[in-house]
Amino acid sequence: MDREEIKKGVFQYVYDNAFSSKENITDDVLIFKNGFLDSMGLVMLITHLESTFGIKTSDADMVEENFESINAITDFVIKKQEA
Amino acid sequence: MSKKRPFSKDIVLLEDIPGVVDKIITKMRSDVHDVMRRYGGVVGVSGGIDSSVCLALASKAFGPDKVRAVMMPEQDSSPDSEMLARELCGKFGVEDLHLENMTPAVAGFHCYERRDEAVKRVFPEYEPDTWKMKIVVKQSGLFNNLPPLFKLIVIDPDGNEEEEMLNATDYMQIVASSNFKQRSRMSMLYYHAEAMHFAVIGTPNKHEQEQGFFVKYGDGGADVMPIGNLYKTQVYQLAEYLGIPEGIIERTPTTDTYSAEQTQEEFFYQLPFDLMDRFWYGFENGYSPEEVAKVMEETPERVEALFLNFERKRKTTEYLRMSPVRDYYQS
Repeated sequence: MDREEIKKGVFQYVYDNAFSSKENITDDVLIFKNGFLDSMGLVMLITHLESTFGIKTSDADMVEENFESINAITDFVIKKQEA
Repeated sequence: MSKKRPFSKDIVLLEDIPGVVDKIITKMRSDVHDVMRRYGGVVGVSGGIDSSVCLALASKAFGPDKVRAVMMPEQDSSPDSEMLARELCGKFGVEDLHLENMTPAVAGFHCYERRDEAVKRVFPEYEPDTWKMKIVVKQSGLFNNLPPLFKLIVIDPDGNEEEEMLNATDYMQIVASSNFKQRSRMSMLYYHAEAMHFAVIGTPNKHEQEQGFFVKYGDGGADVMPIGNLYKTQVYQLAEYLGIPEGIIERTPTTDTYSAEQTQEEFFYQLPFDLMDRFWYGFENGYSPEEVAKVMEETPERVEALFLNFERKRKTTEYLRMSPVRDYYQS
């Protein structure tokens, strides 16, 4: 799966699971800071990433830089797949 | 219009404690007697500070003979609590402590089985009869923009701990199962209330209410909540003034939900209550992150992130505070 496909998948997941203002979701928007996903959304997002992209997240991965936007999540998934 | 006081570390402290107590008990009397037309109040006591203060306030508002104290332990509850609750009742003249063992009711809902099924998916070696478990919030999220995640901790009979981050399915099953405890207790409190024509006195404090640290229709199900607008610091001030037994005041607040001892800070708040009170006060009273940061010896950026976190927490837990929506049709 190339970067664009992963990003498309991440975008679709966030879009489908955001509760409001979906039209404002872009690749760079801060999805947690702006409230598109909440704490349960993060837990579910991680479960989704692990099952869809075959990665395993660890404690050390749980930093804002890895999850703040669709671009950041895409980079994180690629990094984990390559590790 | 009164001018906003400069932010300080003492800003949440009540200045006129007798006056506050008097206002609360006058309003409790008016709400329960005049509005709800009930003779007194039922308080679920846990041996913790919040329910103890509520019992003391109810005793002053209605008279001790119009207060029923109900203690509802289940198999995971701390055994120390009963002694403290009895001391409390004695102190405030509430004649009897009604002890209700909730284990059969909770087990009837398969609470423990459902919870342990999820725990075993994470730790197959977990033995519910001899091991202990708890959920803790991963300490990272409060001062940044990432919501908190939850970890499951299991402790074997030798005291060895293992921990694992919880996925959504397991986390939700453990929480949903555990919530049977609070909802069963709510049913029991209403049994006692209806049997006496009393109201149920709810014990959540301001943080529990506003941050959503309660179970909807569980400990959030009550008729009046006398300390629902008080910070924890203020609850302690009232406790000292009312003469709550020292053993209760000195006790660390726990959730009394999981088999392993668990503080409210490690499960939910991620900050000691005295700090949480001050930051929340600053947030809800419109103080700038710069002003709060200066007093609290923090950076404005971290306080701003904290305030955003509070705002999100309040928004995402709004569902818990909502009454059923019924305005779908107007005839």
